[in-house]
Amino acid sequence: MSQVELLPPQSPWRVGVDIGGTFTDLVLHDAAGLLHVAKVPSTPDDPARGVMAALQALADRHAMSMGDLLAGCDLLVHGSTVATNTMLEGKGARTGMLTTEGFRDSLEIRRGIREDMWDHRAPFAPVLVPRHLRLGIPGRIDRDGIEIAPLDEEAVEAAAQTFKAEGVEAVAVCLLNCFLNTDHERRCGEILARHFDRHHIALSSEIAPIIGEYERGSTAVVNATLSHRVVPYLNRLDKTLTEGGLRHPMLLVQSNGGAASVAQVTSRPVNLTLSGPAAAVGALNLVAEQTGHDDLISMEIGGTSCDVVMMRGGQVALSDDLMIAGYHVSTPAVDVHTVGAGGGTIARVDAGGMLQLGPEGAGADPGPACYGKGGTRPTVTDALLVLGRLREGPLANGAVTLDLPRARKALETHVAGPLKLSVEEAAAGVISVLEQNLLHAVERISIERGYDPASCYLVAAGGAGPMHGSAVARQLGCSTVYIPRQAGAFCALGMLNADVRRDLSQVLFGDLDTMDASSVDTGFSSLEKQAVEILAMEGFEGKRVDLERSADLRYRGQQFPVRVPAPTFDRAAIRLAFEDQHQRMFGHIQPQGELELTALHVTGRGLIPRIDPARDTRSTEGPLPIETRDVHADLNHGILATPVYASDDLASGVTLTGPLLIEEATTTLYAGPGDTVTVDAYGNYRVTLEAT
Amino acid sequence: MTNPVRLALVQNRLDHISLQMGWVMTRTARSPIFSQSHDFSCFLGDASGILISQADGIPIHTGGGGLALRVLMQTFADDIDDEDVFLLNDPYVAGGNHLPDWVIARPVFFDGHHVGWACNRAHQSDIGGGAAGTYNPQATEIFHEGLRIPPMKLIERGKLRQDVWNLLLLNSRTPDLMDGDLRAMLGSTRIGMERLQAVVADLGLEEALACFEGILDHGDRMLRACLAEVPDGTWYGEDATLNDCFEDIRTEIRVALIVEGDQVTVDFSETGPQMKGFKNSSVANTMSAAYMALGSFFPEDLPRNEGTFRSVKLIMPEGSAVNPRPPAPMTMNTVFIAHHIVHAIWQALGDARPDLACAGWGRSVHPTCSGHDGARNRDYIMYHWHGMPGGGALEGRDGFAQIGHLSALGGLAISNLEDYEQLYPVRYRKHELRCDGGGVGEYRGGSGVEYEVEMLDPVTFYFRSEGLGPPSGYGTRGGREGLGGFMEVTQSDGKHDLPTAYGTRHYETCTYHALSPGGGGWGDPRKRPVEKVARDVRDGVVSRDAAATFYGVAVGPDGTLDEEATRRLRG
Repeated sequence: MSQVELLPPQSPWRVGVDIGGTFTDLVLHDAAGLLHVAKVPSTPDDPARGVMAALQALADRHAMSMGDLLAGCDLLVHGSTVATNTMLEGKGARTGMLTTEGFRDSLEIRRGIREDMWDHRAPFAPVLVPRHLRLGIPGRIDRDGIEIAPLDEEAVEAAAQTFKAEGVEAVAVCLLNCFLNTDHERRCGEILARHFDRHHIALSSEIAPIIGEYERGSTAVVNATLSHRVVPYLNRLDKTLTEGGLRHPMLLVQSNGGAASVAQVTSRPVNLTLSGPAAAVGALNLVAEQTGHDDLISMEIGGTSCDVVMMRGGQVALSDDLMIAGYHVSTPAVDVHTVGAGGGTIARVDAGGMLQLGPEGAGADPGPACYGKGGTRPTVTDALLVLGRLREGPLANGAVTLDLPRARKALETHVAGPLKLSVEEAAAGVISVLEQNLLHAVERISIERGYDPASCYLVAAGGAGPMHGSAVARQLGCSTVYIPRQAGAFCALGMLNADVRRDLSQVLFGDLDTMDASSVDTGFSSLEKQAVEILAMEGFEGKRVDLERSADLRYRGQQFPVRVPAPTFDRAAIRLAFEDQHQRMFGHIQPQGELELTALHVTGRGLIPRIDPARDTRSTEGPLPIETRDVHADLNHGILATPVYASDDLASGVTLTGPLLIEEATTTLYAGPGDTVTVDAYGNYRVTLEAT
Repeated sequence: MTNPVRLALVQNRLDHISLQMGWVMTRTARSPIFSQSHDFSCFLGDASGILISQADGIPIHTGGGGLALRVLMQTFADDIDDEDVFLLNDPYVAGGNHLPDWVIARPVFFDGHHVGWACNRAHQSDIGGGAAGTYNPQATEIFHEGLRIPPMKLIERGKLRQDVWNLLLLNSRTPDLMDGDLRAMLGSTRIGMERLQAVVADLGLEEALACFEGILDHGDRMLRACLAEVPDGTWYGEDATLNDCFEDIRTEIRVALIVEGDQVTVDFSETGPQMKGFKNSSVANTMSAAYMALGSFFPEDLPRNEGTFRSVKLIMPEGSAVNPRPPAPMTMNTVFIAHHIVHAIWQALGDARPDLACAGWGRSVHPTCSGHDGARNRDYIMYHWHGMPGGGALEGRDGFAQIGHLSALGGLAISNLEDYEQLYPVRYRKHELRCDGGGVGEYRGGSGVEYEVEMLDPVTFYFRSEGLGPPSGYGTRGGREGLGGFMEVTQSDGKHDLPTAYGTRHYETCTYHALSPGGGGWGDPRKRPVEKVARDVRDGVVSRDAAATFYGVAVGPDGTLDEEATRRLRG
């Protein structure tokens, strides 16, 4: 941690808190633009304790009371894994479901989609609503949205009573074609409301107004399932903070990367399933401002996995096809590609004598072998320790102590011995396979979507990212790696920089060239009206509200649409925008192709002023390393005498040449032979790679 | 021996290259078969035509491309040059699996040495022949199924043979799609070639070739390690198809699996003769189906290269349904008879390794339809995927309630009904699980579905109902088979029609009603936990009668468990 952090913060400040699988991270941005970081172990049994502990840690550091810390805060943004954990642990509410009669099984059939077809021995995750609690209701809307059989209201009432008798706590409703006509679902909601709290009823046409009864129904069911666990937890935390002195209710990061109040999330907790990783968007916005470069790829590596997010021209794409703990969720979500590659990923040798890395990990408990907490299998962290990339002894303020002999033993037993390699060779092999996996993950999210990663800056983040950023960027052909000084708390940093956001959509089918312009305008206006109302409830009006229109289109006959901006309904401009995207993604266009519009989207943002981190005004000249040790560079260079710097000694303007290590409180940066590391005006690291 | 770390890096890199070739295919292809259904595979071969990676691929293409490469190399011998690109599809002379799957093969040269191949195999949207869309259930000769292509050069020393290109497009009903798709295949193999060249450049020629060999050796060791755990002996399995697309004629797919140490011979000598209709399996398809059956049976994640199957010997008698003589038709083979081949091999393996036994998957009863959508004023072709069957059980999980074809291991997403109502003139009436459809067992077979749809305009049905009639998802280890399939068409005048399994019929507006076959069960149903059976009864997927008779579980009319009666029943 740098010297400036030890100065007490100037109020008012902003706080971001991110609960991760292993650690809860906190970043505070004060009125002087200084950033303060705290990191404490997560507390999965009651995540709120982790939040309070992180706040307490920061308060203690500055000899403040918790009350002072909360009172001085004018914005607290929180990212939480509570929704995802509820799904993973199967601890959601007992849920019932209403469907159209004759169609109650789509939730269980799941469209037959297997995540890995070769792994046919793996069962699906348990169905969230048992079949006897999925009840079919007579009534039918046709493909044009016209009622062809009336809703049987008595059947709905009878179903509600059955649910009550069965101890059902929450109900989802998904009727065929309700995305075209919501009358039947709304009526179901009214009848159910005689028996259930409104927030425990999830209408698919409200939660996910999309075509496709499986994904829409699954999303509604997940929402219903979460309503009993997630919302009370958030309310409790909000109350604790408010009673502790917080002046404004906290905000939560949603899957779309934007924030929302607890009140807004109460009826749609399903929007929190990607709460933490989605905050990378805010952090990338900050990096884009600080570097002046808005083609970025972030690679955030923690203990178990690596999340990759791409920003092009300042925009991060959304997708609405999330898979959470084996359940489909169709809500607008930041396009994050996750691979099982992190510090705790386990290395092994398979039955045919090949070195394999992951996806299995050692988790937080027991963790890597060198933690000495019972783990005996070698992990990436053990390999880094053997190679001198990490220092023996206490780490992360003493939370763990790294034990070299344990790391060596694990690698010897499970990798070096079977492969007849030295322990050092085995460790170097593990790291090169890891970095290859990371490279492939980045290539996937860029090349598969039609972008060349070489034109991007690689943003290395997370506890383990800065160690591997240079090696991965070199293989990608990127010129620059950027590492925020708060890399170890990247998503918490992003939370400080998030807008309040709500994405709304409506299905609308039509031929682009011939459809009635008024139906498009009516659709957009209605979505914008909703967005404005929601943002007003969040306290945003006038110039602090930003609205964006976009539309989904496809060539007739295609299944998947492409989303393009549609600020006005200018058919020629929309076609041009579509062709541009299609050419990039699929390499061709159909010049006279019939274009079909399938949906309208409105993104509403409540604009929160961006944070403005202070320039680092200290000056240091010729910083001295705290030590020089033998560190393995890569397979070509082998072991090199490598200076190790303490981050406190590096002020802006410093330029160093690799190989070198920089030790931060929550992460370690490695730059390879010939790489140039400069500390920029914000105190962040910019690594320029030696051309190869 | 080459450095083991380097070997791991090269293996990952080759797999990544074949995946990347797949991205290029989906990004640049024209037809939805490529870009949305992923009915293709991308693979790399070594200089002798052995597949060194097929990480991007559908299960029923496993390893088959190697055969095509080796036939191609025999055909052209020394006449293979840098910047040549080859095309082939014929199952009889070119190592193809069936005519719609075209192979583009691009030799990879480095420093004047031929070091390997970058290829793909992909289903074309139309290749001429007797029916639009490549499937002709009336075919009795391969000539009725479309254009036959021997190994030939499509590009010669960098120059596209425009005359050949014109010939190909002239033989398709969808020349624009074919043009775009072939270009996508060419672009994808070019990327594969460049990346493979980069691997060789990075490693040096000698070391690269040593790594390719090392990767194949590793695959070989992986399957041998699995086979070593299978008891020596001869293990038998069989499945049968009950018609030849024209008449009720039973054809057995019999296999003898001879396991000796860490090797296996898959002997089809007792398999029935080739059929009149298009369900015959080419050598390439039989090989892929056998590899896929082996590869999917063992829980290990086996490498996707041909070295993995070095220890497998195949005996496929000429003139049989798994190696027919020309000009037998065969377009259906990647689904049926592949399904039967996998079943036969799984049964034999299941006897040898009961702990890993897999019950059978149901066969489908889903037809194809075509007609004119009056309301939307356009022609359409529609696949009734919602008539897909249930899957088989195995230890640790019940069968999938409804799942795509076995030959794709379910790798096909069933569309939403709402999407189909928008695309086609149909109104769905029912799509729900069958009661007692799944074979009983400690792990229950998948139920299959009851499927009912109203066709709103006059329509032509093309039936391909291999699952019609007797059960098709066999049970194992004391589990029983799932229920068979059924279908009927109710015409607007109220008349009922019971169509034959294969054939073409025209109807005015009508309702199609089908019961798709269930998957087989695994293990003694009396060992299924009582509470799971009670839940099945409450869920309506097992009847009270079946619960009492097969599971020994008594459930009252109100769905409550009768513990005392259950104790009596279970003894």
